[in-house]
Amino acid sequence: MPDWLANVVGPDATFWLAYLTNGAHQAFYASFGYTLAAAVFGGMFAILFGLGGAALRRSRFLPVRAVGAGYALIVRGVPDVLFLLFFPLAFEQAVEWVIAQGVCTPENAGTGAWPPCPDANIFFSTGGYLAIACVALGIVYGAFASSAIHGALDSVPKGQVDAARAFGMSERQIFWRIRIRQMWIFALPGLSNVWMLLVKATSLLSLLNIPDIVNWAGRLGAPNYFPRAGLVHPDWRWKYYLALVVFYLVLTWASERFFRWLKRKAGHGLIADDAVAA
Amino acid sequence: MKRLLFAAATLSMAAFTGSASAQQTVRIATEGAYAPYNFINEAGQPAGFEIDLGNEICLRAELACEFVITAWDSMIPNLLAGNYDLIMAGMSITEERLQTIDFTDDYYPPDPAVFVIRTGTAFDFDALAGVRLGAQTATIQAGYLQDTLATGNTVVLFDTFEGAVNDLLAGNLDIVMIDGGFVAPIIEATGGALVLAGPEVTLGGGVGAGVRKEDTELRDTFTRIIAEMKADGSLNALIAEWFDDPMLF
Repeated sequence: MPDWLANVVGPDATFWLAYLTNGAHQAFYASFGYTLAAAVFGGMFAILFGLGGAALRRSRFLPVRAVGAGYALIVRGVPDVLFLLFFPLAFEQAVEWVIAQGVCTPENAGTGAWPPCPDANIFFSTGGYLAIACVALGIVYGAFASSAIHGALDSVPKGQVDAARAFGMSERQIFWRIRIRQMWIFALPGLSNVWMLLVKATSLLSLLNIPDIVNWAGRLGAPNYFPRAGLVHPDWRWKYYLALVVFYLVLTWASERFFRWLKRKAGHGLIADDAVAA
Repeated sequence: MKRLLFAAATLSMAAFTGSASAQQTVRIATEGAYAPYNFINEAGQPAGFEIDLGNEICLRAELACEFVITAWDSMIPNLLAGNYDLIMAGMSITEERLQTIDFTDDYYPPDPAVFVIRTGTAFDFDALAGVRLGAQTATIQAGYLQDTLATGNTVVLFDTFEGAVNDLLAGNLDIVMIDGGFVAPIIEATGGALVLAGPEVTLGGGVGAGVRKEDTELRDTFTRIIAEMKADGSLNALIAEWFDDPMLF
């Protein structure tokens, strides 16, 4: 910190500013990036899985419809914590199994129960786990999104579809140009709820050993008794967790404002505002 | 088809894992929450006795090493799964752990475990009954409490040793059992709220680096250099540098 600033704010504030900007705190601030990345990419995957799930549920073939309905039913019924623990492990072992088919022979078999041989072992870096976490979040919240999208596709006014048919559009064209295009407006309220849930679920990243904000808040807030490890202080975790509470409140408040704006914008000129509100 | 699947999987994996190419780097797991053995310093980096020691051993062995911060309670399963190659996390060598993993020679001598109580309380350590005892989960102290004092008392285990100390300070526990090696700074930092009591109990065969049983080469390399550092006095120097009340070889 420059001397002039230190002189202005006084020794106490200087001390706390230095403490709150040391390397460990900078790493804490940087870890907000994991949370935001998980929210954004998890949200993208949720839209993709939601569209896929809705498409399955609208299929002409019963087995395909059943898969779509089953996806929504099963994933929606499983707590997100459990799924976030289950999916990465299952995915990792599945990939290891596939690799093992190619590289493992009875000669190089490992001593442990898993993986079948050391060469088949894969190691996920933090980035890898983050990517898997995004997919897992996408699968969980895609199930919710698929219900919102499925319902929204049916909400597109019948007159619009009839008009398109009268213009000579094929079923495919009607689906992409009329239904999908207008579906978003009806899906937005549902999707904004899904986004809120997803944002809150990003607090679970530390379960996958990702050094996210919850992990760092716990570390920095834990009492320190050892002067060489930094400032000696009692249990401060509640202060750090409070900062996270504020962060999530601000994030969800901003999201709500954004979705309100988006709803107004998207519905503009297409259908009456009261139709969107209903 | 199988081959194609395999190739696709390998390709997609290579994008975001450090599988085969990272094998040359020895990955060392540590907790980062067990000062002075290992902790996260103010710069946000792993630091402490074991980090200095690990780096010195790797330097002498001409190995590229990297410390990985990981949770204590899943440390051994993750070693077996191959997520890292070594554990240096204040882990004592015990018969129980030797059934699943192997250890190098000890780099910190067996450290007597101690009991900590609140100032003003008193217990008859020869006949403990109806008290609440705490320790960090999956530690030698936890094992000792469960084996010898669980009947007639309540044993509560915590993810970190700080959790146990916190609950002792808050009055939720009567006695906490921890490593003698770092009890002094805790007692000092709590400003007289806690005191040592009862007997010292020597548990385990010292602190060593944990390795998978099949990694005999890595184990032998570390053991050789630890012996070398014991002989030339550099290990004792490192211990004296990091511990207030050091146990020397």
